[in-house]
Amino acid sequence: MTDKTPKVRLRGLYKIFGPNHKDMMQHVRAGMGKPELLEQHKHVLGLQDINVDMQAGEITVVMGLSGSGKSTLIRHLNRLIDPTAGEIIVDGIDVMGLSDDVLRKMRQEKMSMVFQKFALLPHRSVLQNAAMALEVQGVDEKTRTAEGMKWLVRVGLDGYEHHYPAQLSGGMQQRVGIARALTANTDIMLMDEAFSALDPLIRTDMQNLLLELQAELHKTIVFITHDLDEALKLADHLVILKDGAVIQQGEPQGILMNPSDPYIEDFVSDINRSRVLRVQSVMEPLKGTKFAGDVDIRANLESLIARSEGDTSLHYRVMDGDVAVGELHMRDLVKALVPRISSAA
Amino acid sequence: MAFYEGLFRVLGLEEWCGTGASDAPLSMADLLAQSAGDGAGSGPAFPFPSLDNLNESCGNFAQTRDLTKGLEDAFLSAKDSIKAVLDPITQPLSWLLDGALWMFAVIPWFIMIPILVAIAWWASRSIAVTVFVTFAILLLAFVDHYAVAMQTLSIIFVCTGISILLGVPTGIAMSKSDRLQKALVPVLDLLQTLPTFVYLIPLIFLFSVTESKLYGIAIILYAIVPVIRLTDLGIRLVDKDVIEAANAFGMSSNQRLAKVELPLALPNIMAGVNQTIMMSLAMVVIASLVSAPGLGVNVLRGIRNLELGVGIVAGIGIVLLAVILDRVSKAALSRVDMTHKTH
Repeated sequence: MTDKTPKVRLRGLYKIFGPNHKDMMQHVRAGMGKPELLEQHKHVLGLQDINVDMQAGEITVVMGLSGSGKSTLIRHLNRLIDPTAGEIIVDGIDVMGLSDDVLRKMRQEKMSMVFQKFALLPHRSVLQNAAMALEVQGVDEKTRTAEGMKWLVRVGLDGYEHHYPAQLSGGMQQRVGIARALTANTDIMLMDEAFSALDPLIRTDMQNLLLELQAELHKTIVFITHDLDEALKLADHLVILKDGAVIQQGEPQGILMNPSDPYIEDFVSDINRSRVLRVQSVMEPLKGTKFAGDVDIRANLESLIARSEGDTSLHYRVMDGDVAVGELHMRDLVKALVPRISSAA
Repeated sequence: MAFYEGLFRVLGLEEWCGTGASDAPLSMADLLAQSAGDGAGSGPAFPFPSLDNLNESCGNFAQTRDLTKGLEDAFLSAKDSIKAVLDPITQPLSWLLDGALWMFAVIPWFIMIPILVAIAWWASRSIAVTVFVTFAILLLAFVDHYAVAMQTLSIIFVCTGISILLGVPTGIAMSKSDRLQKALVPVLDLLQTLPTFVYLIPLIFLFSVTESKLYGIAIILYAIVPVIRLTDLGIRLVDKDVIEAANAFGMSSNQRLAKVELPLALPNIMAGVNQTIMMSLAMVVIASLVSAPGLGVNVLRGIRNLELGVGIVAGIGIVLLAVILDRVSKAALSRVDMTHKTH
């Protein structure tokens, strides 16, 4: 895909749940599917043959419905769950080979995690929660309080540092969760359905907060969600999971324009395409027509429709910063708004 | 002669039966039967094939009293080695109990009562509870039950303290290992359901009745159960998500125990401590049978000498102590809401 070495790399990852999960690998390798394995051997196939590269500084979103194995997948990265087979390579080191002590060190220094149900320590104040990661690392109290406070302010919680989690709303609790992960100062952040328990308005706020932080911090973020809109909004790299297998992965706009599977087409057909699709996905190489104006390459189509007041005869010049990179015909834009249904339809 | 003789003849065991005769001592029932000249043929037409009935037909069969005698002999033969191990281990318990009894006796009432009231205030932070404790102690002192009440209280303090000291770590170990839990639960069930008098019996054989550890051990064995159970339960009930977060941030198991599990299990552990206190109080009364001093002695005197008034006053004194201990520990329990849900 790219020639950079990925930050996190999953190679042939399998997870089978059950008492004899190691023995079940032969059946799975021989091609047995999830329903057959459950029927004949009473073992649950959680993940099958996962191969994903996660680039440094990008948000990789793993999307799937409940039961698709996405939460299982994210727990493999820091080995809260051990795989049945396969490799997990973080910064070139196979995590499977680590001793307990080294693994703990890695969890402290390389990966932090944000949870769906927040999982804050209810008996600790907001500040103590935020500083928890540093406390585990053995950082002295003064430094960790200062550090925790810095990130609490950054996520918009100054003034609440002496409250307890139970006294805060869900959105605020998750801000504490994010502050806790940021205080750990790790390269990698794992976010397990971090915004799923929040109501829609708060969720949008939190997504914007995350994007804002990411623009500044460039962490490697692995984000799990079941919400396609959220996935498309956040993802640099989108992985779609179904029944424990990756069915398509790649750049989200690409998936939207070229779904590889009826399952994904179904998924994709329900979203507001004009808001999600961006100019770069429908533009064409620069030929030099008469332009009605300049648009940014990252602008979404909705904003363009508003600007053209619905006139489909217009053409716009696409700009990436100060450079003209292509042109956009409103006619193509309108066509792109119709989801592509599989050739049969 | 006896009902099952035919059976042994059919089995060809007649000869073997003839050789043995029970050398167990005659029971009182047998003696009475003999002297009444009551031979065979009286009992029911088809007796249950119990040990005693089979023995009647076949002298080589053990009788039930051989079983109880065997148990007794086994215990007596093992007694010396058990004692050799247990005696030194439990000796500090005697010192502690004697020391506490001595201390409660030697501190004059005008110092002791304020100390107890202060403890009640410190633990409960409740004016109502503290006022009640003050009045209850003054009332006990007013009817000249101060000394015995203090004896009971000192025994409870020592035994509860040791129960917590031993019980909490045991509960923690149990919560960490399913195998240990499986092994200990039947033991705990046994300790809790065995009639309290029954485990006084072997203790009487092991230790002399003048040693305070005799009743100390009985009280601790009985009262330690709830604190173990509820420590185990409390730690197992800690939210799995929070445990997962602790792991995800790289806590070691000791850090997790100290920073997450124990603080969150504390309300349950405190409930266990409350139960332990109440059970030591129940046992300290029964333990007066084996020389434990305190209010129980007066109750016992009431029963032995049919002194109704003495028994009732001591009984009410025990109720007062129970209410004091319960209210103070419950108030302390309600204070340890670590999650700060209110305010």
